[in-house]
Amino acid sequence: MSTDRGKTGRRPLPYTDPAHQAAHQFLVEEAALLDAADYAGWLDLLCADIRYLMPVRVTTARGAGFDTLADMGHFDEDMYALRKRVQRLATDHAWTEDPPSRTRHFVTNVRTFRGSAFPDGGVEFVVESAVLLFRSRGDTREADLVSAGRTDLLRETAAGLRLARREILVDEAVLRTQNLAVFL
Amino acid sequence: MNFADQLAGVVADVRRGMIPAHVYSDPEIFAAERDRLFARSWVFLAHESEIPDRGDYVVRRVLADSFIVARDESGEVRVMFNMCLHRGMQVCRAEMGNASHFRCPYHAWTYRNDGRLAGLPFHAEAYGGEDGFPRQEQSLLPAPSMDIHNGLIFISLDPDAPPLREYLGDFAFYLDFYTRQSAAGIELRGPQRWRVKANWKIGAENFAGDSYHTPHTHASVVDIGLFREPKASKRKEGALYVAGPGAGTTYKLPPDGDFAGQLRYVGYPDAMIGSMEESWSADQRALVADSGFMVSAATLFPNLSLVHNWPQIDDNGTVAPFISLRLWQPVSATETEVLSWFAVDAAAPEEFKRNSYKAYLMCFGSSGMFEQDDVENWVSITEMAAGSMARRLNLNSRMGLTSAGQPIKPPLAAFAGPGVAYQGFGEFNQRHWLRQWSDHLEREPAMHAPAVGERVNLGGAR
Repeated sequence: MSTDRGKTGRRPLPYTDPAHQAAHQFLVEEAALLDAADYAGWLDLLCADIRYLMPVRVTTARGAGFDTLADMGHFDEDMYALRKRVQRLATDHAWTEDPPSRTRHFVTNVRTFRGSAFPDGGVEFVVESAVLLFRSRGDTREADLVSAGRTDLLRETAAGLRLARREILVDEAVLRTQNLAVFL
Repeated sequence: MNFADQLAGVVADVRRGMIPAHVYSDPEIFAAERDRLFARSWVFLAHESEIPDRGDYVVRRVLADSFIVARDESGEVRVMFNMCLHRGMQVCRAEMGNASHFRCPYHAWTYRNDGRLAGLPFHAEAYGGEDGFPRQEQSLLPAPSMDIHNGLIFISLDPDAPPLREYLGDFAFYLDFYTRQSAAGIELRGPQRWRVKANWKIGAENFAGDSYHTPHTHASVVDIGLFREPKASKRKEGALYVAGPGAGTTYKLPPDGDFAGQLRYVGYPDAMIGSMEESWSADQRALVADSGFMVSAATLFPNLSLVHNWPQIDDNGTVAPFISLRLWQPVSATETEVLSWFAVDAAAPEEFKRNSYKAYLMCFGSSGMFEQDDVENWVSITEMAAGSMARRLNLNSRMGLTSAGQPIKPPLAAFAGPGVAYQGFGEFNQRHWLRQWSDHLEREPAMHAPAVGERVNLGGAR
């Protein structure tokens, strides 16, 4: 079997590898928190030095050599920015999510790669996944779908795996959801 | 009642500050906007910084019409209708890139990046050479009018459009605050693009002058300490101005600041303040230093909006200003594509650019915490405007006027900018926008179905 080696240049861990299973479970548990709108719980899964990126995807010729904008994202967040977003959703005035969206994060195509090891024995894993976000607002509006690939950096910490970096590669150049008052 | 009579009634109501609600969801009104407004008005397409090098291009639309905006081999900006002269295929299907030529995928007709037809296969065999088809003279259709101001590239579908600078009139004074903070001008990043199920007019009107919505719609960003300004006590001290085809909102700056002090308050570093001092006229500086106002949201009729705000971007309380340009690109009566760019002075220090970019992403654009709540409102208005009951309702847009139509307070005397300004809440600016909209809708459709002789004929029978 020929295997795409992902961004690490290594082979993905076998599905039976406990590290892969832990990473997969992390993503599923994270999706459960997001769909339950437990954003405070979600923040607890992030490293203090989190970088949460979603570049703008663009339509370019096959030979152009790029299909995202290097200097423009839909998100480019650190912990301060994410915490502000979560705090906002918790106010009584975040109208765009009141009534709240009903969301379902479908997470699949998970591949785990062993990443860098630290002198103290800690390890980072690169985890690729696909996410399909279903978002329904109100009673009569058509629902939105946002499809994206994600490349995460998961770090082993004393408290368990934590998300250190996420890059979201959205599959549309023009988003069909009214805003990104949601996380992917 | 026929449509002309209906339209006359709509316009008459709008002119007295009452807006028939259905205009925010009506396909017939949308068709009239296409044929009477967008068929004539200057419309923003791109900024020169998006195509800095020869061969760089972006593809942008005016409603259904796709245009290639390219910098040709001589460095000139060209705007060309993106339709192959032969069978009508979209010549360039990427939205950006760099190319010396564009080749149609259908029959391989090939155009230089200035639009001229460079070649077609089997010219001799298929057409008998130049006699059957004189390829030397052919070019992709240029935009009927194209002009550039401060690097902002506009087109008009009207070949007899007035010069852009003449159209901008007094609004050019205010445009400089966003697009000429130094001699280097701005650079644009993006755009973020997304589609919202809202009528395009709502955002344009909102950015033109709705300071009244800020304290409530955007209460959450004050709740979380992201922003010092939108609270009602601050917002009602701001001035609303109308000038030429534009209108905008401002914030009142703290008392007793000088030019540099006020710009420091909104987060500009001293190096940039020096550039602004050189770049802006005495009156432009006086608007900040003496009148004590800082520009915020604005709209240039019809659908280019600008915004300038200054949130706190970290736990240390660092305040960073940002500028965004956005186009409300109409898709249908009930759908709009938003194109939102981050703009920053090209000569700004790198650290400032980083901070300003962060400020933009947190506040505006597809994920921005201000914009999120705006769009929720606008989608809802568009939905409510679709039914029969909305046809019975005129929305009141008369804020700031007495029943006799007089302003409830005099214009600001101490306002260094051109045009007319009022302090406090009012819908002066939205009415100014709607008056221009009415002027367009009252005119006959432009070039909707030109006579046969007026169409462009390519190498036809002679």
